[in-house]
Amino acid sequence: MLFRTAGQFKTSYLKDQTLFPVRQDAILLGIILAFAWVIFPLTASEFTFQTLLIPVLVYSLAALGLNILTGYAGQLSLGTGAFMGVGAYACYKMITIFPEMNLLVAVLMSGLFSAFIGVLFGLPSLRIKGFYLAIATLAAQFFLVWLFEKWAWLYNYNASGAIQVPHVEMLGTPVAGPQAASMTQYYFVLVVVTLMTILAINLTRGTQGRIWKATRDMDIAAELIGINLLKSKLTAFAVSSYIVGVSGALFVFLWRGAAEPNLFDIPISFRILFIAIIGGLGSIMGNYMGAILIVALPVVLKTLPETFGIPISSATVEHLNVMVVGALIVFFLIIEPHGLARLWTLIREKFIIWPFPH
Amino acid sequence: MKKLTNLAVASAIAVVTAGAAMAEGLNVPNLTYRTGPFAATGIPLMNGQRDYMAMLNARDGGIGGVPIEFNECETGYSTEKGVECYEATKGAAIVTQPWSTGITLQVLPKTNVDQIPILAPGYGFSPMADGRVFQWAFNMPSSYWDGASMILNELGGGDLSSLSGKKIALLHLDHPYGKEPIPFFEAMAEANGFEFLPIPVGLKEMQNQSAQWLQIRRERPDYVIMWGWGAMNAGAISEAVKTRYPMDQFIGVWWSGHDADLATVGEAGTGYRSISWSAPQPDAPVMADIRKLVFDAGDSLAAEDELNSVFYQRGLVISMILAEGIKTAQENFDAAEIDASQLRWGLENINLTDERLAELGMTGMVPPFATSCANHTGHSGGWMLQWDGAQFVPASGHLMPDSETIASLEGPAAAEYAEANAPWPVNEDCEG
Repeated sequence: MLFRTAGQFKTSYLKDQTLFPVRQDAILLGIILAFAWVIFPLTASEFTFQTLLIPVLVYSLAALGLNILTGYAGQLSLGTGAFMGVGAYACYKMITIFPEMNLLVAVLMSGLFSAFIGVLFGLPSLRIKGFYLAIATLAAQFFLVWLFEKWAWLYNYNASGAIQVPHVEMLGTPVAGPQAASMTQYYFVLVVVTLMTILAINLTRGTQGRIWKATRDMDIAAELIGINLLKSKLTAFAVSSYIVGVSGALFVFLWRGAAEPNLFDIPISFRILFIAIIGGLGSIMGNYMGAILIVALPVVLKTLPETFGIPISSATVEHLNVMVVGALIVFFLIIEPHGLARLWTLIREKFIIWPFPH
Repeated sequence: MKKLTNLAVASAIAVVTAGAAMAEGLNVPNLTYRTGPFAATGIPLMNGQRDYMAMLNARDGGIGGVPIEFNECETGYSTEKGVECYEATKGAAIVTQPWSTGITLQVLPKTNVDQIPILAPGYGFSPMADGRVFQWAFNMPSSYWDGASMILNELGGGDLSSLSGKKIALLHLDHPYGKEPIPFFEAMAEANGFEFLPIPVGLKEMQNQSAQWLQIRRERPDYVIMWGWGAMNAGAISEAVKTRYPMDQFIGVWWSGHDADLATVGEAGTGYRSISWSAPQPDAPVMADIRKLVFDAGDSLAAEDELNSVFYQRGLVISMILAEGIKTAQENFDAAEIDASQLRWGLENINLTDERLAELGMTGMVPPFATSCANHTGHSGGWMLQWDGAQFVPASGHLMPDSETIASLEGPAAAEYAEANAPWPVNEDCEG
């Protein structure tokens, strides 16, 4: 009923190839965008901005970057955290060397550095595949984090070895640093994430996306039909690392405010991989759903006992939290191994024929 | 579907009300880490802090007649969760106790904007001592540079020039916390002609330090100083025993003096020393109160054998410092329910004399100290605690840091921080 597609006729090829062939999809997205752009910012508290809205967006963007590489082009990577670090450190160096620089430009440019590093570490993908490639990207993970620790120039010779985000203004409003209002930071992140998502959607459903998918599904066949695997794999590494690098710059500049090298270590790479897998490999929307499950749900769960006045100690809450989130991950993966995005697709298909399944 | 809707509504309510939970009394949150890789060292500290406040509530009805609302927010020592806890608690709280150098670094720039004092006793960023620059941060009674200075004073027998030609290794965690004393040691090495050798231990190699100890065996340093935390301490001590490094030449900072770490090697660890700004006093009157009102009342999370440990009693001292800050503020502003900026004044004007310590029943648990608007640390020195095979016992007189040398390093470091984080408000009214 809600999703009835009857009566929506396509009279031209162009109409058939629009982003949303079904009108209800566009309406649903419109509602979600209205929430993200208007309703959440108007109602959210500082706590909600800092622990739910901004982190979910930043993690979704990182997972989106990884998903292009792993989900679309089929190259398994465990170096996401390190590529985020490259973006963050590049942005930090640019902003401290050129304090006049526009932060938006700096964030978008920092992705270029991580794209370059990503291509460099993507070179082994031409010879090795699957788990072996994961190990090669693991090398990037270890090497880059080691470099962030040892190369003192990167953190401006700070005694504690950490980077601190300086005060940055855009059009007279502070956007990064301690003075920045959470709402400004949220909108900044939202603009960048929206831009990147549009870019990713159009890339993956166009020629380049089909080339990546062919590489993923069967690289020999892809080569036989004339796809240049070298170009296909390296562009996947470049685009993926670019997006991951941008998310790393946002991660530190628009959210955390400071970062030590081990922040970009293996745990964050795994976290992003989990978001991508649980959300759904080879999907754009899944990244957001995965990030909500992995990043936002624990925060919400943690506040529940207090809200309902259940007197349990905060350490116990933490233990329960780990158990509940773990159980949910297993639950979702059992009912739909292809991730939350696929689950939504199935629900949507049911909706389309509901209430007359035959 | 119905269930899902209910869940969604419930979570929405939770998020909306999370920041708004106001409590009566003095809201004093603590960002604990009773879980995660550092829980073993965290639990006794957190128990000590909690029990002291519980004792005050039971004995005196709180501070100045107002009960203390001591809330814990669990971070697991993770910076991300720490910031989450900070955001969740800061609304009603009068203080924040971040409990990790990483969380302190994140929260420090925000305190000027949020106007909430950070209490980081004996940890955090050493230049926080400069209260003119770091108006909202407190790390009394000793900073890491104080600790480093006290260790060198003890090794040199009061005369640093006697260290000339010696080789001193610093086995440290490769993390902001472990790197904290390096600028001080480097400056001292240059001034006094000893060789300084930093040996980093990565977070991943905490439990397997064979490479580091191989280096120590090869370099044969005269002393090994340790800036370790959590699993790194036990790892280093068992490696030292295995490589037969002389224990009396092995000295740790105050976070490397945890009873349980030494208990695993027992007799073999005899002679190991740890500098400390607190000392356990099992017979102190305050312990009697805590045993009677909290522990025997079943209100404590601590175990019996934990009560006399260094870390549990240090937790008591930390809560006592906070309680003194609250009391000082209450007396000055003549108000029982103080707010965050009043507490800041209170923490800045603590005068903890010998008499006051005796009144509190805590003589000998912490050296007397006083803070001022320019001096947020107090720099009151401490003692060497030595492991006698079964427990830590005081093994030195009252040691003092070289305050002048430290001040000459603190000033520029604080100014550098303020410059890097400009615009950074500096307290111009403070005369030092």
